[in-house]
Amino acid sequence: MDIISLVLGEDATMDHGIVTSDDPILVSGAAGFLGPSVVGNLLDKGFRRIRCLARPTSNLARLNKEIDLRHGAGRADIVTGSLLSREDCVRLVKDVPLIYHLAAGGGTKAFSDAFLNSVVTTRNFLEAAIEHHSLRRFVNVSSFAVYTNRKKPQWRLLDETCPVEEHAESRAEAYCYGKVKQDELVIEYGQKHAVPYVIVRPGNVYGPGKDFIPGRVGIDSFGFYLHFGGANPIPFTHLNNCADAIVLAGLKPGIEGEVFNVVDDDLPSSRRYLRLYKRNVRSFKSVYIPHALSYLFCYVWEKYSKWSYGQLPPVYTRREWAASWKKTHYSNNKIKDKLGWKPSVPTSEGLRTYFESCREARNERA
Amino acid sequence: MLKIAIVGCGKIADSHASQIQRIPGCEIIGACDREELMARQLAERFHIKRHYGHLDALLSDVRPDIVHITTPPQSHFEIGRLCLEAGCHIYVEKPFTINAAETEELITLADRKGLKLTVGTDEQFSEVARRMRRLVHAGYLGGPPIHIESTWCYELGDSAYTRALLGDKQHWARTLPGGLLHNTISHGVAKIAEYLPGESPQVVAHGFVSPFLKGLGENDLIDELRVIMQAERGTTAYFTFSSQMRPALHEFRLFGPKNGLAFDEDQQWLIKLRGDRFKSYAEKFLPQASFAKQYSWSFFRNARLFLARDFHLNSGKRHLIGEFYRSINDGTPVPIAYREILLTSRIMDAIFGQISAKSHSISDVRITA
Repeated sequence: MDIISLVLGEDATMDHGIVTSDDPILVSGAAGFLGPSVVGNLLDKGFRRIRCLARPTSNLARLNKEIDLRHGAGRADIVTGSLLSREDCVRLVKDVPLIYHLAAGGGTKAFSDAFLNSVVTTRNFLEAAIEHHSLRRFVNVSSFAVYTNRKKPQWRLLDETCPVEEHAESRAEAYCYGKVKQDELVIEYGQKHAVPYVIVRPGNVYGPGKDFIPGRVGIDSFGFYLHFGGANPIPFTHLNNCADAIVLAGLKPGIEGEVFNVVDDDLPSSRRYLRLYKRNVRSFKSVYIPHALSYLFCYVWEKYSKWSYGQLPPVYTRREWAASWKKTHYSNNKIKDKLGWKPSVPTSEGLRTYFESCREARNERA
Repeated sequence: MLKIAIVGCGKIADSHASQIQRIPGCEIIGACDREELMARQLAERFHIKRHYGHLDALLSDVRPDIVHITTPPQSHFEIGRLCLEAGCHIYVEKPFTINAAETEELITLADRKGLKLTVGTDEQFSEVARRMRRLVHAGYLGGPPIHIESTWCYELGDSAYTRALLGDKQHWARTLPGGLLHNTISHGVAKIAEYLPGESPQVVAHGFVSPFLKGLGENDLIDELRVIMQAERGTTAYFTFSSQMRPALHEFRLFGPKNGLAFDEDQQWLIKLRGDRFKSYAEKFLPQASFAKQYSWSFFRNARLFLARDFHLNSGKRHLIGEFYRSINDGTPVPIAYREILLTSRIMDAIFGQISAKSHSISDVRITA
């Protein structure tokens, strides 16, 4: 039983602004990296009818763990379905006033796959929601990947006012393309069909369960690690902080149509993160490439790719450089001001436990 | 200017669109997918003027000269038939259809309509495959092929395709008569069909689920296949498909009465296998020197092609599409003979007829033409 129920009585209904604790809430991508934390956060807030949507093939271990930890069986139900099936979508969103749309088409290099699993799925979801007339808030979880980081109003600062990629296909990053088009679709449905949406754009989400070095730090495409990030801050957000931001975006009234970036405080630089990772998780050799050189590398690669009709794919371009390696600062002022969000896990503590989990996972595998 | 349309706007359509746009004298004028959003995204990315959610609308509105069919194989026959009926030549992604009867019907229809068709077994048109063809036609083998060996591997790694295939019991690839094999082996089988004479080879196939897949709880998806074939005139062929062996080869070997040839699709080398033997101890040393020279030559050849911007990963597709378009424009023969397309379908039918997840027994079936 959660604390709120203990204080108010098990059957008390809490009004959370957009929904009450008895309203059904749907979380897509519930078995993904972010999903279990979002479900856990909703359970902590006392919600009793959470539908956790997972693919039939998903590994449910982390999701079940979060639910069991909070004795949430009966309050959070795992349902399976495919967002590519319109029938499934209609069935899943029936009577649901609040949808957290976390499911994403990641892990592919194919633009069409990313599009199919981001845009077509979202369209199916929105159409089903419109059909049922019960939707009060659609929280669309996007990504920092959609920002162009070029021609920004404030030169070094990246915030919600920054432009998104106009030609996402030029970024040679299928995930970015899928997310840009997904955001466009949600905005279009907001305008044409009055879908009450909020867009949340997390930076690099880290936490137990995902051992990675963000592409913003560097690349290891050539058999050795090229460190491009240098002194750039990396826009990390801890899993729990990000989940909290996403949940708040679904509950706060009066923010329809708003976009919120999610990034923690006290961000480590790329150099510091790489040093900590090597010290705490695994050691490997890396070579630092100064920004001028990495820009030149991307420029030459882009030109060669074009000249050779794609003999080398346009994976390193000036657009990619601007999005990933241009020196940039990040702001979380808007989400703090409008949603009252604050990162509950400090970066130092988050990184410590994260590295610990990476070490444990590696030891288990060994 | 040839008017081209693409039907089916998934992943493979991207490589078609990008290769077509490199061929002079043609323009992609329409994209079609029953999920219209998918047609729209392809049209946006490749600057295609029109997109459709219905094939009928595409065929009647833009009246393409050639339609590239890049949908899942189950729909190839019906879409191909509609396109041919509408007067369009068709380029069909591999596998051509799901069985030889459908293949035969489409070929008959194309002939009746005076139209042309081809299948996307584009690896037959890679640089080394084309070079091998030239050497064979020049008589390097010293006569008709005696034996053929084709090895075609497919790494079942952690790709999105593999995850989807393993996780989804209703995945379209599982519903094909040959399951996973149906969607993957045609490149390797088509190479054999090119050099295997006759129309009804004897086929002995053995397929099984690898221990790797069984360990993942998968007992239905056959991912290991060994096939022996013999043509009427005695030419034999081995076909190996594996998801587990390493290196994951894409190799082809052709042996004649005098000499042999071998190429590797991934590394793009072609080696002449000399039939004559050197005398005594010379046989222990000189062939190695010859191989070293040939491999070095392959290295420099590949480097030269790369520097000349002519070493693209999809070069086979561009050559096949280009030759198909040329056959339409100039009235020259189609790049892949209909006999080969049909023989590939028949061999695949015979293989899938013999293997099943339930009984991994070896049987022997003769194809009837």
